[in-house]
Amino acid sequence: MTKEELYEKLNQVFREVFDDDSITVNPETTADDIEDWDSLEHITLVAAVENCFHIKFKVGEVVRFRNVGEMADIILERVNQ
Amino acid sequence: MLFNSIAFAFFLPIVFALYWIVPQKYRTILILVASYYFYMSWNVKYVFLILFVTVVSYISGRLLEKEKREKQRKGIVAGNAVLCLGLLFFFKYFNFFSESVTAAFRSFGIPWDGITLKLILPVGISFYTLQTIAYVIDVSRENCKAERSFVDYAAFVSFFPQLVAGPIERTENLLPQIKSEKHFDYDQATYGLKLMAWGFYKKLVIADVLSPYVDRTFEVLPAHKGVDYLIAMIFFAIQVYCDFSGYSDIAIGTAKLFGIDLMKNFDSPYLETSITRLWGKWHISLSSWFRDYLYLPLVYSKAGEKLSVKMRHSISMVITFLASGLWHGAGWNFIVWGGLQGLVQVLEKPLEKPMRRARKKTAGKLLLPVYTFVMFALILVFFRAQNISDAFYFFRHLFDGFGTKDYWINTIALWPLPFAVILFSLLVLTVFDIASQKTDVIRWISARKWYVRYLFYIGLLMFIMLFKASGEAEFVYFQF
Repeated sequence: MTKEELYEKLNQVFREVFDDDSITVNPETTADDIEDWDSLEHITLVAAVENCFHIKFKVGEVVRFRNVGEMADIILERVNQ
Repeated sequence: MLFNSIAFAFFLPIVFALYWIVPQKYRTILILVASYYFYMSWNVKYVFLILFVTVVSYISGRLLEKEKREKQRKGIVAGNAVLCLGLLFFFKYFNFFSESVTAAFRSFGIPWDGITLKLILPVGISFYTLQTIAYVIDVSRENCKAERSFVDYAAFVSFFPQLVAGPIERTENLLPQIKSEKHFDYDQATYGLKLMAWGFYKKLVIADVLSPYVDRTFEVLPAHKGVDYLIAMIFFAIQVYCDFSGYSDIAIGTAKLFGIDLMKNFDSPYLETSITRLWGKWHISLSSWFRDYLYLPLVYSKAGEKLSVKMRHSISMVITFLASGLWHGAGWNFIVWGGLQGLVQVLEKPLEKPMRRARKKTAGKLLLPVYTFVMFALILVFFRAQNISDAFYFFRHLFDGFGTKDYWINTIALWPLPFAVILFSLLVLTVFDIASQKTDVIRWISARKWYVRYLFYIGLLMFIMLFKASGEAEFVYFQF
């Protein structure tokens, strides 16, 4: 999977989870940039990402994501395994 | 020594002066000695407890550095948790456990004389046990490196501003700051003093003043009813917020005097629009601890794999808040309090989308915080009542009319002045909390012209002097 494909899919997921078709994420996007992205939504988001890419994160990773870029890096790693 | 005590008023300036006079390399050990002295001022024997927890978790961290095998690593984390929680269990929960077992056996008609021990709950133990368990888990998750310096680590565990009632700090936030080279920052130090003043305001002028009205009702419930209960319930919700967020402000402000920034612990929680969102703004250091070290592991556990996301979330939520309830106190009323908090959040989850829409409308913006406050205050009755049957008694008589004549005569009717002061104090607090959502109020005041600034500072100090409750009342959260 290429980075473009990855971010396309991620945009879809974010738009669905936050009910907002205008959302576009980039590597630097953090929870501060998206209204409603609180720790509760984080869990829903992570579940949706896992579902979409058919991967599973480890607890230590979920806790650590500081921005979308870090999440994307791990997704790429997992998917291309 | 309590923050609002003469002893602390001497202790703090002395430690502060020494800290900035001595060369950088002695600062950590100075903090360590000062913090142990601070802890021992309650009871000299406490030092053994904190040393035990510090040594066990320090060794666990170093072991995890060397041990790479997954199973053994889990064993080290579990071992550390068992030892530290075991200590906590012994001091805090042994009697509760013993009495519950006795009650259970008795209800089956089996005579059983459980042992209860005469134990005093050591201050702060609930806080630094959680902080050190988090450290060991963080090291095992490779989210941070094991600390090599025992002195640095021990200072991180015992750092006196947050030692007795939090904020429960994260390794990644506090440990590097303890270790770093510090230069005196006048702005940071004065911000710290201002934050301390605000904390004292909340504690001395609001929490301590409301406390007698609450205590009077809850101590003898049958002597009151109806509106008395309503007032006590609302006052208690305000009291516990001002008491605990006030303490946190004093702790954070004190830490700033030493060049250290602790995490925010409260973020205008009563302005929130649902219980779920409130928990993101209330006792943040604790709720995020439970999220990262209990809720998430439960959600991602093997046991949860077969369940749907919704089920995993709901069950984990209830378990987490039951544990939180238990952490707050060794009693069934605390566990029920926790369980109710978890349950309400589970019930709120399906209402998320409608609540989100309602929040955007003016009516929603006004009514949702009212709902949240009332719901939180109602559940808090279990927290404050002496036991579960008292809590149920409270609810059975909550709507029993306008309360007793005595109560009215002795409180509201006789003293208009205290009530006017209370209302004014609450108004100031509300304005501050609303403004805090948009900007840093202290920084805003600090940027005004000198006569405006000093109006605020002197005004606040005089208000505290004039209207603070008498006596050295304890912080509610010290019993944890």
